[in-house]
Amino acid sequence: MGFFDDKQDWLEIVFRNYPPENRRAAVMPLLRKVQQEEGHVSPERIREIAEILGTTATEVRGVMSFYSYYQAVPTGKYHLQVCATLSCKLAGAEELWDTLRAELGVGPGEVTPDGLFSIQKVECLGSCHTAPVVQVNDEPYLECMNRERLRALLEGLRAGKPLEEIELPGDCGHEVRKEGA
Amino acid sequence: MPKLRINDREIEVPEGTSVLDAIFHAGYDVPYFCSERHLSPIGACRMCLVKVGAPRKGKDGDWIRDEAGNPQIFWFPKLMAACTTRATEGMVVDTLADEVRKAQAGMVEFHLENHPLDCPTCDKGGACELQDRSYEYGLFEKYYTQTQNGLKTVLYSRFEFTKRHADKHHKLSEFVVLDRERCIHCKRCVRYFEEIPGEEVLDFIERGNHTFIGSEEIPLPAGFSGNITDICPVGALLDLTARFRARNWEFEKTPTVDMNDAFGAAIWVDSRSGRIERIRAREHPETNQIWISDAARFGHGWASRDRLTEPLLRKDGELVPVSLAEAEAFLAERLSGAKGEEVGLLLAADATLEEGYAFAEAARALKTPHFGFENATRYPVANLPAARYEELLEAEFALVIGDPAEEMPNLYLRLQEFLKGVTPAPRYYHGTPIADLRLEEHMPRRRERLAVFAPYPTRLHRFAGVAGVYPPGSVGALVGALFAILNGKRPEPVPGVPEAELRRVAERFLAAKTRAVVVGAEVLEAPAAAQAVADLARAKGALVFAMPPAAGARGLEAVGLWNPKGRGWEEPGAGLLLAFGATPPERVLAAARLRVLALSHLDPRARAQADLVLPAKTFYEKRGYTVNAEGRVLELRPAPTAPLGAMDGIEALAFWLRGMGRKPPAGHYREARERLHERHKLPLDLPEEVAFWRPKLRLAARPGEDKGELFLAPTMWRARMLADPRVRAALGPPRLRAHPETARRLGLDPGATVEVETGYGRWEARVELDPALAEGALVLPAWGRGAGRRVAYRLRVPAGGEA
Repeated sequence: MGFFDDKQDWLEIVFRNYPPENRRAAVMPLLRKVQQEEGHVSPERIREIAEILGTTATEVRGVMSFYSYYQAVPTGKYHLQVCATLSCKLAGAEELWDTLRAELGVGPGEVTPDGLFSIQKVECLGSCHTAPVVQVNDEPYLECMNRERLRALLEGLRAGKPLEEIELPGDCGHEVRKEGA
Repeated sequence: MPKLRINDREIEVPEGTSVLDAIFHAGYDVPYFCSERHLSPIGACRMCLVKVGAPRKGKDGDWIRDEAGNPQIFWFPKLMAACTTRATEGMVVDTLADEVRKAQAGMVEFHLENHPLDCPTCDKGGACELQDRSYEYGLFEKYYTQTQNGLKTVLYSRFEFTKRHADKHHKLSEFVVLDRERCIHCKRCVRYFEEIPGEEVLDFIERGNHTFIGSEEIPLPAGFSGNITDICPVGALLDLTARFRARNWEFEKTPTVDMNDAFGAAIWVDSRSGRIERIRAREHPETNQIWISDAARFGHGWASRDRLTEPLLRKDGELVPVSLAEAEAFLAERLSGAKGEEVGLLLAADATLEEGYAFAEAARALKTPHFGFENATRYPVANLPAARYEELLEAEFALVIGDPAEEMPNLYLRLQEFLKGVTPAPRYYHGTPIADLRLEEHMPRRRERLAVFAPYPTRLHRFAGVAGVYPPGSVGALVGALFAILNGKRPEPVPGVPEAELRRVAERFLAAKTRAVVVGAEVLEAPAAAQAVADLARAKGALVFAMPPAAGARGLEAVGLWNPKGRGWEEPGAGLLLAFGATPPERVLAAARLRVLALSHLDPRARAQADLVLPAKTFYEKRGYTVNAEGRVLELRPAPTAPLGAMDGIEALAFWLRGMGRKPPAGHYREARERLHERHKLPLDLPEEVAFWRPKLRLAARPGEDKGELFLAPTMWRARMLADPRVRAALGPPRLRAHPETARRLGLDPGATVEVETGYGRWEARVELDPALAEGALVLPAWGRGAGRRVAYRLRVPAGGEA
């Protein structure tokens, strides 16, 4: 069964935003839908999207592979993205990455056996002043990460807590400023 | 018409010209990799950076002037990519400035950064744009030298790190291989597929430094994929049929014409040591531009394998090699006292005008009713008016009945251009614009301008505003109904095509100021339909593009090889048979007492039935002229690959007639050409741009009607090409397409292999169900023989198979 078979109403709403003679313009929302619900975009889904949009799988893959947001291989329930660009690297992103790998026992493109975690190095997330930064799925950034905060994060996630309820030890400069303001 | 200055030269160029073309038009050079004729300019490679300045207008609408009163030139703050900059009035371009030179050298350096240094083993070596531009514009002494141990040496790159490694042998299809290390990401191939044949099967995958050319459609669809090997500026995309066969400077390059279809595409035949190794497209702006089909490009393997090199004579039931003298003696003995009207003279579809003329004259002198050429249609294509391919671009509406992608692949590309609404480009001193700013990526196709009808869904159906599939055999009804509506009468119903669709077509047809009608072999096989098209063109004024299945049809018919009454290629009758270039059907051979075939290759039918086989030239090796589908006279030049003693049609005919003790109309090519010229006043000495030969003819149609149930679909691939294992592997077994209901009735299972026998040969085909076909339709590829006809057939399930 196709992914979009039961989402015809949703598709219709999406297509309303694009010129009818150029359906392929709607490739991004469709990819995003698949990525959000399935954690990755498989070759079957690429073909399905191509068919819906009346284009080729090559073109859909070209768009998909351009954005690091879309995953070609399955990801865990929590996809941890570690920023590895300059500011974070200087602030210890490499160590953070090594810790993460050691703690979870997986590399990029792999998922922990319990299906919970997958990890990825990403380019600049744009929060250099709170480096190093980790992002879980589409959630807000986790900032000023270090080994302790990372362990607390993993523990919290394993315990099934929602992200906003997990308390990370220590603080980050701007949180203090926020309180003061 | 903006006037501008390039370095020291003032020029005037048409509105919309790019700075790149202006520079070439002025006679200066600028390097580029990503721009290509007929493709959209995108400014990807940054090689054509030049210094550009332009005057500005002040608030008063007049030019801002300097102290001397001249318009002041405002230089752009950075160098501009010439390919995406429009030439404007008063512009000043400097291509020789120091900073330009330095930028070019820097860009070459970047392009070579990850490019492997395997030129010595690269097939592109010697014909490589990257090589040439690196020599001309790469790093040079003025900027980049270093002193080591007191010695001054030239530096070719300032960077020292390991080159990126990637897939070096990525097979895209049986014909094209991709080397991802050599790729410089010019995007020509990606743009080509989207813009020219309209199939997006290549794209950039990943981004930035990780970008590579990839496809999810492997193998690439065979049809138009080969052109990317021509336009690739480096050795990243290569022709697998020619892989490692020779260095570029070792090839003998012969400019000639492709005679596989009637389009008359210009080609280069690259041969070495008597073998054809590679076919490339030759630029001809008015016909094929710079494109050719895969069949024309990759289907040359047959010509260089298993050639006949000497006469073969049947002795004790076996064909054995004999000397030419013995063959001559044999002919003299068997033909002595022969009556002229017994003789049958048959010519292959790819024959030249001179050959056609010689055969026609001989047939006339012998007073024989048995003459003709292979794949002659019932309605003579020479009766239909011909339009120039470029005129199609000026039409507003096109009605297509047939399958241009297979019947005349280059016309399909022209139709794609027509859909984009592109008019012929201006011609500069350097020729076709290299960066035509009117072209863009993903130009919308104007579907409402096109209506397509065929007995099966073609490649063009996807692009047409009105697209219909009718059952084979209903083409007459379709044309008749359209004709009736256009004349304001009530149409008879056409199976499979609703009347409302036809009315829409008629409405658009009449609303358009200029219209085009493209008809294929199937229409030409139905004389009433073809005559209706001819009448329509005359009455309503429409450009006609007819796609005959025989490459030389228009010319051969005009020089007198049209035979409406007698027996042609198909029908038995002649007792003494001479066939040149191809083997006639079995029944024709069986009915003759003496069968002399002049062939380049021995095929099973000739092996079984011929009495004497003479070695013949292929069209690649012939000298002569042909008339293409638009009535243009094109010259064939011989590639040096014919075996010694191989004859052309004129020589073979002379050999035969001397055996009869008669004087041949021409003994050799030169004589035939002179006689032809004398008789028909051909414009042989004019340049090809203006050399048209369109005699007004009213030839009688040949009687008869197809009665079979199996439709032979036109294909760009010819049966002889299947001798090449690479072609066989690429095409797979022929597909016997059937409507599901029809398949059920005939007991055919999808995927089953069955043996199909028709009057044209026997094929092992794979059954494929196609609900888009009309009920009752059964479609088999023709491989060039009997395309567009409905024939009787026999189905057999081979032992061990199932059906």
